[in-house]
Amino acid sequence: MVTIEERIDALTERELQHGLDVFRSKLRAAEASYLNACVHCGLCAESCHYFRMEPTLENVPARKLDHVAAVFRRHFTTAGRLAPGLVGARGFDRAMVRAWLDAVFGRCSLCGRCSLNCTIGIGLPRVFRAARAALAAMDLVPDDLQATVDNSLRHGNNMAITREDWVDTVQWLEEELQMETGDPEARLPLDRHGAKMLFTVNPREPKFFPLSLQASAKVFWAAREDWTLASDPGWDLTNYGLFNCNDEQAGQITQNLVDAMARLGCTTLVIGECGHGFGAARWEGPEWLQRTYPFELRSMLDVMDEYLESGRITVDPARNAKTVTLHDPCNLVRHGGVSEPQRRVLRRSVSRFVEMTPSREHNFCCGGGGGQLAMAAYKDRRIRSGGMKAQQIKDTGAEIVVAPCHNCIDQLMELNKEYRLGVQIKTVAEMVAEALVTDGPPPTDGKGTT
Amino acid sequence: MASIECNGMQVELNPEGFLVDPGAWNDDLARVLAVQEEGLQTLDAQHWSVIRFIRQYYDEHQSAPMVRLICKSTGLPLKRIYELFPSGPAKGACKLAGLPKPDGCV
Repeated sequence: MVTIEERIDALTERELQHGLDVFRSKLRAAEASYLNACVHCGLCAESCHYFRMEPTLENVPARKLDHVAAVFRRHFTTAGRLAPGLVGARGFDRAMVRAWLDAVFGRCSLCGRCSLNCTIGIGLPRVFRAARAALAAMDLVPDDLQATVDNSLRHGNNMAITREDWVDTVQWLEEELQMETGDPEARLPLDRHGAKMLFTVNPREPKFFPLSLQASAKVFWAAREDWTLASDPGWDLTNYGLFNCNDEQAGQITQNLVDAMARLGCTTLVIGECGHGFGAARWEGPEWLQRTYPFELRSMLDVMDEYLESGRITVDPARNAKTVTLHDPCNLVRHGGVSEPQRRVLRRSVSRFVEMTPSREHNFCCGGGGGQLAMAAYKDRRIRSGGMKAQQIKDTGAEIVVAPCHNCIDQLMELNKEYRLGVQIKTVAEMVAEALVTDGPPPTDGKGTT
Repeated sequence: MASIECNGMQVELNPEGFLVDPGAWNDDLARVLAVQEEGLQTLDAQHWSVIRFIRQYYDEHQSAPMVRLICKSTGLPLKRIYELFPSGPAKGACKLAGLPKPDGCV
């Protein structure tokens, strides 16, 4: 297999030009102004978890931006073309490609905290995504990240799970749910045409960690929801096209969800607890596809919040007696705008809830976002940068960390081990399922059963 | 490139501690990986039943089995799998069985 370093060595002038063309095509007015706007005030440094845990120049977001801005000036501004030395312009050569790769894939989780703290509001993640797109166009996405995208394109899910394995696991979880609830009618319905909600999951759940899927199913059961899962592509909510920044591939993956909704005739697409999956489907998907969805899209957190608010399900917080804190996934909260439903749900479902400091849109990235979890080459940086999150968790004194994102959960599991946090890590649905108050099997009225 | 010593031989690991060459795997290597990567000083019969099934499945399918299949074939309940391998089925059990790191959010 040709390594990414060998591919950089072998780059032709034509390929470099193609990368530049794609970079240019991703720059709209906003991004172009961002590239001219940084005044190097340095406030972004303290906002970045990479810099906070390893204060070197290359970890300063403004420095990462500089690598990209220098190329923009050299190739797309008059001053940069005529007098590159005077305006800090640099050509897009192999050394610069390496600098981009290191900066935008190797030292950035696209968490956007720098942008929030930027004195002039530069949207750094938008610029870094344009740079990633250029690298993707030159076949310079780290192999393990691209493999995850390729799985989705070839198999309809990012772990290459076969239909048979997926269906078998759903049926197994249905039996488990029936045993847990004592209700032989409890279902994890598959392909129920015309169901109100299509519920989508992260392949990590059926593959290795199915308790969160079972917990979500238990909440639907208690609410007597009219829901279904899909057995064919469209059941996986993930979209690593958000990370490799190949918008065409990202659009193809989003299309799986749109097709499943049409195939099953559902009215509401429910995105399970996943940060990037929500951000990709809710905000980027319509951009990638260049059209609006003909259906409603909601986060599972919002659905659970409504169940509790309306009294459709009831919970007893005494069943969750341990101290609980909440992690805010960047793509769900800072980028995605979903911050309160999970808090309302947890305040109702657990005895003692403590916030991290800072929290909500100011929260620190766990270190695993932006595709970092998939890129082995940057593992040491990922664990080191996660030190900010580890300290935040320690400071709460919590015994349970709730994270409405499977990507974050995996990173938090590693931080738990590396930093000896001694915490349990769970989804919001797992906390709700644990606290559910039910009076035996619900009355059968046909809803929620096949 | 990281490496691990086993029976006087250096075996290459990727930065996340997974074998670079799954074909280099053997029982002794599983024991060394268990100590270094998973903090397990000994592997008991239940650990081995999980590791052997994963390895056999990988040899046949070139992929990691669903946790459902691990439970079914070993007869162990799901919660026991998580107790046996604190880092979970992927970064724990599959790593000890010498598989490459699975793709996805793991």
